[in-house]
Amino acid sequence: MKGIIFNVLEEVVVAHHGEAVWDDLLDAAGSNGVYTSLGSYPDDHMMRLVKAASDALGMPPAEVVRWFGRQAMPRFAERYPEFFTAYTSMRPFVLALNTIIHPEVRKLYTGALCPDFDFEEGEDGALLIGYRSPRKLCALAHGFIEGAADYYRQQVEVEHLECMHRGDPRCLMRMTVH
Amino acid sequence: MSEPIECCDPDELVRVKRRLERERAARREAETVSERGLRRLYAREQELLLLQDIATAANLSQSVRDVFQYALTRICDFLGWPLGHAYEVVSRDGEVRLRSMTLWHARDGATRAFRDATELREFAPGEGLPGRTLASGEPKWLTAVADREDFLRRSEARECVLSTACAFPVQIGEEVVAVFEFFSERALQPNQSLLSLLPQVGLHLGRAIERQRAEDRLIHDASHDPLTGLPNRSLFLERLNQSIAHARRKVDAQFAVLFIDLDRFKVVNDSLGHLAGDRLITQVAGRLTGALRREDMVARPDAALPDSSTLARLGGDEFTILLTDINDPSDAVRVANRVEDALRQPFAIDGQEVYTSASIGIASSASGYESADAILRDADLAMYRAKALGKARWELFDREMHQAAMKRLALETDLRHALQNGEFVLHYQPIVSLRTGEVAGFEALVRWQKPDGELVPPGGFIETMEDTGLIVFLGVWVLREACRAVCVLQEAMPGGQAPSISVNVSPRQFAQPDLAGQIRTVVAEAGIDPRSLRLEITESAMIGDMGRVAAVLRELQELGVRVSIDDFGTGYSSLSYLHSLPLDALKIDRSFVSAIARNGESLQIVRTIMSLAHNLGMDVIAEGPEDAKQVAQLRSIGCEFGQGYYFSRPVDLSAAIAFLARAQSPSEALR
Repeated sequence: MKGIIFNVLEEVVVAHHGEAVWDDLLDAAGSNGVYTSLGSYPDDHMMRLVKAASDALGMPPAEVVRWFGRQAMPRFAERYPEFFTAYTSMRPFVLALNTIIHPEVRKLYTGALCPDFDFEEGEDGALLIGYRSPRKLCALAHGFIEGAADYYRQQVEVEHLECMHRGDPRCLMRMTVH
Repeated sequence: MSEPIECCDPDELVRVKRRLERERAARREAETVSERGLRRLYAREQELLLLQDIATAANLSQSVRDVFQYALTRICDFLGWPLGHAYEVVSRDGEVRLRSMTLWHARDGATRAFRDATELREFAPGEGLPGRTLASGEPKWLTAVADREDFLRRSEARECVLSTACAFPVQIGEEVVAVFEFFSERALQPNQSLLSLLPQVGLHLGRAIERQRAEDRLIHDASHDPLTGLPNRSLFLERLNQSIAHARRKVDAQFAVLFIDLDRFKVVNDSLGHLAGDRLITQVAGRLTGALRREDMVARPDAALPDSSTLARLGGDEFTILLTDINDPSDAVRVANRVEDALRQPFAIDGQEVYTSASIGIASSASGYESADAILRDADLAMYRAKALGKARWELFDREMHQAAMKRLALETDLRHALQNGEFVLHYQPIVSLRTGEVAGFEALVRWQKPDGELVPPGGFIETMEDTGLIVFLGVWVLREACRAVCVLQEAMPGGQAPSISVNVSPRQFAQPDLAGQIRTVVAEAGIDPRSLRLEITESAMIGDMGRVAAVLRELQELGVRVSIDDFGTGYSSLSYLHSLPLDALKIDRSFVSAIARNGESLQIVRTIMSLAHNLGMDVIAEGPEDAKQVAQLRSIGCEFGQGYYFSRPVDLSAAIAFLARAQSPSEALR
């Protein structure tokens, strides 16, 4: 996992809970906390940090991840405004993930393992988003979507129709923008 | 966590926190710098990869369309843009336009309306995005195309939700040969590094077109005549073979070949020079092309042209026309008439009026041909017939013509063998003094003694030998044989004045560059007195380059060999030039001699010729006297010599010697 994710996680945690909590999480996760944005670090570090946060905050790990995703989005928008300003609303932004945004991310961070999504039109203008990844970070995707909605000042509803954590071969989310 | 703070100085703590902030900021900045560098490196790498891929494709691919299609897809992938398109530069009536090559990279069908609108129109230089790219030779970047007045396809762009456009020229040197354009649905600001990259891509793509052009030029040059730009023999044969194959499948697909040979072209070449000859050929090619142009038909509906035709130059002054999809050989005849008409007006060559005409041979598929060579050969034969029948005309090939040609071919082969096998013999006809009855000389006449015993007179083979050039070899043999005969006669008449032997020199032989040298050698080899050899040359052999004729005759005179002018009165030439040539004798054609007894006019002509010859110091020999009356008349008007059946038919050498012996006995003289 790319260092940038750890950096943003640190920012989010420090902003909401203070520097001491970040130090505690690092201690609990057994990490020295040295993460530079361009480096790559074992996924396991992230899992242990999530576990530590879950314990410390009394939230299920998936909730921690989703919360982080939502909080992270405005910070990404601050660091990489061009990914966001090219679109005026949620839907085209999400649809551009596979073809534009993730390829750009890969240019920036060689070796970044961004997921590919399947898109399908749902009923009543909903967008069905399929996700497959060995990391099973559907909660992060969910949080990112909510964070993007915050950025574009739109109301969004995300429903997990299928989930790898429930034994499905993939995750399927229905996104409805209000 | 709370206790260490208490033992520290609060000021110290603030300072530590500030240092920490500074460090964190420094790290963020270092990361940003690295990210920017990496990103630039990555972008540069991708650009190089793009250039390299395009260059490789341009160098390896067989067709321009394949290269362009690949480039459109590759560039769209590189840009992440959904739509790319290529135009070619076309030139019509001197006006340059950009036309869709109907080559696209389109991610989906959503841009159909925009693509249709693009393919339906053309762009002049300066018009619209592609036109401005063409005119400036520089890449262009347009934003918000759906709202721009200067984007001509804005309504379709709006319909298809296209926002940003960029175009670049494909160039060979300074020349723009194609334009590529790309579209994105996103609003994107001009990307300077892209705008400097794309012209390089355009130069690579230009190489594909340059290579294609070079190939086209090679193919064109290999199949066209460089002087006239017309198809050459190989392309003509290719088209002809196609027509033959087509006619084989489809019975009513008739075609015809016209074989055109200019009359008197050699005269132009020889008198005005080869450059003038080339100019004439070029102008003739232009007129022939005009004669085949269908537009003329409106004015001349009677001279309808077949649906398609190929005019080719085979070389020299030979042109051919292939007419396909004709209804009847008469269509070919109509075209032949058009060709004759087209050449009727004089040509202006180097300020001179030059006239030419064409002899045209026509062969049509109605005769059922299997090969291009065969039909071309027959058309050629028909052309020769047209030439022989008086030029400036056409002849249709038919079966008899073919048979005559085959016979001629067989004769040619036999004659070659005859030369190798020594099947020729000389017969001798005496030339007798009409005053004394003495034998003044003999004319050597060649006969072909065929293996089956048949003795063929010259009329049966001389023309063929002249046409094929074999006459030159035969002529040398005749000279040698005649010189040998002179030796035999001298031995047979020890002490006496041996008579001379006359040998005919053909026009072709006379045109040999070193005729006098050849004769000098033959005479020296035989060891005879050159004065005992006479050459008989027809008037027609002596027309042409008068300077050369005079020079050759003077050489012969210096050598001591005497020259008679043969068949006098039958050729074109006038008497006026005779005085300038060193000639010894003049032979009056048999047609005048045979007529003198019945026809006072002929007698008058012979008398005139004789007085002229005498004034020039030339002897006169009358050819073909057959009876005593003719001989008496000739003698009465003062003719010195006669050669004819009245004295003797041509006989072999031993009979000639016997005749000589008889003639010298007084009783035989003056019969």
